[in-house]
Amino acid sequence: MINKRSRFAVLCALCLVPFLLFTSCENEESTPAFQNKCIKRSLGPNVAGQEIEFVYAVAIQPGAGRLVSAQVEASIAGAPATYLEHRSYHTAVNGIETAVVVGNPCVNSGNITQVEFTADTCAAALRYFYAIPEEAKGKNLKFIFSAVASNGERVSMEMGEYRIAEMDIKLDLAVSASQCYISLEDMAVYTAAQAAAVPGKIDLVYLYRNYNVDTVVFNHAFVAPATGVVKYLPGVTLPSGVNRDTKIRNTGIKDAHLARLHQKGEAQPAIYIDDIDLREMDMSRMPNYALDIITNDGMWLETQDGIYKAYIFANNMNRGRAGGTISIKRLKIK
Amino acid sequence: MKPFVKTRLILLSLPVFLGSCLFNDYPVDEDGLLITERSECYVSSFQLVGTDYQTVVFNDKSIVLGNGIDTVACTISVKVKYGTDLRNVYPQFSLVTDAKLEPKVTGFTDFSDYKNNPPRYTVVSGNRKVRKTYTVLLEEHEYVPR
Repeated sequence: MINKRSRFAVLCALCLVPFLLFTSCENEESTPAFQNKCIKRSLGPNVAGQEIEFVYAVAIQPGAGRLVSAQVEASIAGAPATYLEHRSYHTAVNGIETAVVVGNPCVNSGNITQVEFTADTCAAALRYFYAIPEEAKGKNLKFIFSAVASNGERVSMEMGEYRIAEMDIKLDLAVSASQCYISLEDMAVYTAAQAAAVPGKIDLVYLYRNYNVDTVVFNHAFVAPATGVVKYLPGVTLPSGVNRDTKIRNTGIKDAHLARLHQKGEAQPAIYIDDIDLREMDMSRMPNYALDIITNDGMWLETQDGIYKAYIFANNMNRGRAGGTISIKRLKIK
Repeated sequence: MKPFVKTRLILLSLPVFLGSCLFNDYPVDEDGLLITERSECYVSSFQLVGTDYQTVVFNDKSIVLGNGIDTVACTISVKVKYGTDLRNVYPQFSLVTDAKLEPKVTGFTDFSDYKNNPPRYTVVSGNRKVRKTYTVLLEEHEYVPR
């Protein structure tokens, strides 16, 4: 015998059935035949000379048509290296990322990058690499991703805004016993003869000394060419007029833009130095030398006139001999 | 007064009473730290790091009791690496349980005047009755060309 409470429960369940049927039908009907989605893949601050990477996925239901074209419109035209992949990427069953050619190589026209599909496909995931131009520094960027299907339908998606950092970046500058005068203004390394031509721009001297004494570890050093640190410039005859006093602060930070440790098979933490880090780094009372710099060490710097603040990463310091490779991030403060 | 009101009042006042008893047994000092019965008063280990938070101690040596720390003379002997910027070093002390340090170390500290004014820190025991002032004896390596 069914009691009153059970009867009420059955009645409620029966009432819910048409409601569930109605809502499920409504969802099916509202699913568009042509859809698009976009994600930003690159991390960290956006710096001129680097890329911003997106993945743009478009799909149309098989019966509704096929893909005709996809394009990206940037609010500021990218540098010439900007491109939209004409290959669609997917992860194969073995976990390997696999590319399939789906169209002609992209065409850049002003701030628009377009790919025409040649394959008869109803879905694609294209990668877009926006090469950040110099003129975008300090500005905000927006992107409109769109695609057109053979049935004339168009879908689009806006991404951004993204702030472009004001800093400059220079990768993999070689330093050696002769190529040892570093200018933060030029973000370049000069020989003594070249430094003599631009003495007011030389902020740092690279040197290597192996004292072979138990109590002193000098090795690779970066020293300001100021008069007070002659002690740390043994055997160095500075070119005439090279006398700037640069503040240096050692740091253990491994900026991902500069370090790129993953390329060496090491773990690269997602740490990025941004404009604000350089701007707010307190360099008062810092010394003007850094000794025993080894591979993967970092340094904050401030030029004598306070115009530039920078971060230098030692990508490689040769073991037991002079020479190495450094990368620089630099911000004009004044 | 009704009996249940009385009971509630007693129950409510119980934690206050117990709390006051506890605080009376273990008072706190001006820093809000518990004053205990411990009278031990020494530095058990010491470290000195630079602006990159890496040790500036020569040979990366650990300075511990009997090996750099003299609890009788109340000294901490530290040899720093050649070229250490002593204007920006961060001293890090490990103390015996419940002890505290005066002055407090709040960040990077200037030890550059160590020859005329050697850094001094006072360890205060857990019962706050024993005070021992430790002197940090710094030694810099210098390069003498041969």
